[in-house]
Amino acid sequence: MNALIMALDSIREKKGRSFLTMLGIIIGVTAVLVLVALVSGYNADITAYYEKLGVNKVNVTVTWYDTSRSVDVMSALYDYCDQELSDMVEEVSPDLSTSLPMKYRTTTLDSSTVYLGSDEYAVCNNYTLKSGRDINAFDIEQRNRVCVLGSYVADSLFQYADPIGETVYLGGEPFTVVGTYYQKDGGTEGAMDDMAVIPYSLDRAMLQTDYLTSFTVKVDKSDNMDAVMANLEVFLADTISSTVGEYELENGNAAMTESTEEMISMSVVLGGIAGIALLVGGIGIMNIMLVTVTERTREIGIKKSIGAPRGEIIGQFLVEAAILSGMGGVIGILLGYGLSLILGKAMYDLILFPGGLLPRRERSRHRPGGGGAVRPGHRLRRLRRQLLPGSGADPGPVLQAGGAGRGPRGSGKRQRLPHPLFRRGGKPLGGLLHQPGL
Amino acid sequence: MSLIRLDNVSKIYAQGQENQVNALDGVTLEINQGEFVAIIGTSGSGKSTMMNILGCLDVPTAGEYYLDGVPVSGCTRRELEQIRSRQIAFIFQGYNLILSLNVWQNVALPLLYQKVPLAQRKQRAMEALEQVEIAVKADSRPSQLSGGQQQRVAIARAIAARSPILMADEPTGALDSRTEAQVLELMKALNRQGTTVILITHDTGIAAQAHRTVRVMDGKIVHDSLWDGVLMDINAPAMGVTP
Ligand SMILES: Nc1ncnc2c1ncn2[C@@H]1O[C@H](COP(=O)(O)OP(=O)(O)OP(=O)(O)O)[C@@H](O)[C@H]1O
Ligand SMILES: [Mg+2]
Repeated sequence: MNALIMALDSIREKKGRSFLTMLGIIIGVTAVLVLVALVSGYNADITAYYEKLGVNKVNVTVTWYDTSRSVDVMSALYDYCDQELSDMVEEVSPDLSTSLPMKYRTTTLDSSTVYLGSDEYAVCNNYTLKSGRDINAFDIEQRNRVCVLGSYVADSLFQYADPIGETVYLGGEPFTVVGTYYQKDGGTEGAMDDMAVIPYSLDRAMLQTDYLTSFTVKVDKSDNMDAVMANLEVFLADTISSTVGEYELENGNAAMTESTEEMISMSVVLGGIAGIALLVGGIGIMNIMLVTVTERTREIGIKKSIGAPRGEIIGQFLVEAAILSGMGGVIGILLGYGLSLILGKAMYDLILFPGGLLPRRERSRHRPGGGGAVRPGHRLRRLRRQLLPGSGADPGPVLQAGGAGRGPRGSGKRQRLPHPLFRRGGKPLGGLLHQPGL
Repeated sequence: MSLIRLDNVSKIYAQGQENQVNALDGVTLEINQGEFVAIIGTSGSGKSTMMNILGCLDVPTAGEYYLDGVPVSGCTRRELEQIRSRQIAFIFQGYNLILSLNVWQNVALPLLYQKVPLAQRKQRAMEALEQVEIAVKADSRPSQLSGGQQQRVAIARAIAARSPILMADEPTGALDSRTEAQVLELMKALNRQGTTVILITHDTGIAAQAHRTVRVMDGKIVHDSLWDGVLMDINAPAMGVTP
């Protein structure tokens, strides 16, 4: 009690020095909190990004050596997933994209991505229908020239008008808009909303190719990813003999896991650096306490001579140090939280707290009933299978479609995230498809 | 039984090193209750070292110090604190007061360690300050007082603590002769009330006012005489205050 009063007195007496002493701790604590918060914000940002991209996807890529002997992989894959893996696989969709100019009346968008998908494209890739209808099996069967627009495209081309039933020109070809998706990625140019989906059966018409060589298999939950991968591995090995082609399976969650691990090591490193700052602050307090003790030998001597218990003399300095570091810590925590909030808002649009973060506002806003939605296309599979393009088609250039499912949009514009995922694999499909002279 | 007894006490600083100093060299000394003893000697002769040991601020390298018949070397730290708190009051040449406390708080501080309740602390402090005629400055800071006033406050602190022993290390060293006389008079008054006073000085004029003078040289006691200058036996009986 005594020691407390005396310590407070001596702190008050030397405000300037006390503040400087605290500064080290303040900076250290603030740095630790802000860095950890920012890393967790970055992590949440990336996780949310992957979630938007769609989680639990297995990307299947097939490369044919000799197209004349290729088998109908898509058909076989559909069958297999429908029969053998139906309890784990939700949907299968081809995965093919290109970049085509989109025009409505006088407005043209030049860099939007056109995905050639099945009726299950939206589910596979985490899009939710906002208005109209999605692509259905009949569109695919009939090769209907219909499209569903991402929110950016819909908003840019139609402003506030209703796009349903209107005609847009994709690469010069007229398409009827049948539906639109909800915004899922900020709704800006180059975001995941800057897209349109058309029936994959238009591949020959739109891309002058009918080799669907890349597919997305949507698994119901992450626990089943490995099982599905293993099954697909066996299935593909049986289906594609090594003399005619090869295949590649990719766990869509792997990149996310990898980046989460990266985040963890990053936060350890940054937290460590900030921890060193904190340590330096602590040493600063120690140092100032030593100086104070030497400075006050006289006072200590007097107190000792009139019988002050040693505990009280030491206590005064300890309490003083504790108050200084405590106050520094509290100020540091307040500053850390404040800065985290400000920076979190500015950098990730998140309510960031050093201990974690509040749920992202827009997350899962428009996701009705979760992933287990009804599967209207299910009954039609058999029928559709017969219509699938594939075997016996024109020999064309061997397409490496592996990049399509990887980049969020063919051209990989999201430069804000320099993650290996987006650097890997060279040119994405969109770019490749341009080359044969589209 | 004497109040204070040093038995062949030595104090060696930096023992075993090249610059080893024998500050006290086999000192044997007895001081009785109620004496007013002046310890004199040239600078570096070991006076302060002796006072530090007598005041339980330091421990001898060799020999034994008996306070009230109790060997101090056997005391725990807590017991030594208790002794300093209740038995001994100190006055130093300067630097007697804690600058962050005001005058009455300084005077009341020993009472805090004696666990006297707050109200009584202040009352006793004010009484002591009145005895040294400086009560008007009770709320001032030590830095606002003259050197003589500060020494009077230090004496007030000794009065308030009601310690039976007062040790003063050159208390008048920085004071003019008139103030010096004032301070000395206060100490004599305390002694008349029964306090044992040990006064360290290198001024023979001041030493002459004590009834007993102990001369120290190179860590040894070379003279131990009564007030009238007659060399006395070291084990002389208690003399009381000169009339
Ligand atoms: N803490 C210490 N460490 C080492 N040597 C010391 C220490 N204190 C005192 N001395 C030495 O012991 C000897 C006696 O010192 P002391 O302070 O007792 O002298 P003094 O008689 O009080 O002198 P003065 O009249 O100048 O105050 C001196 O030689 C001094 O240098
Ligand atoms: Mg001295």
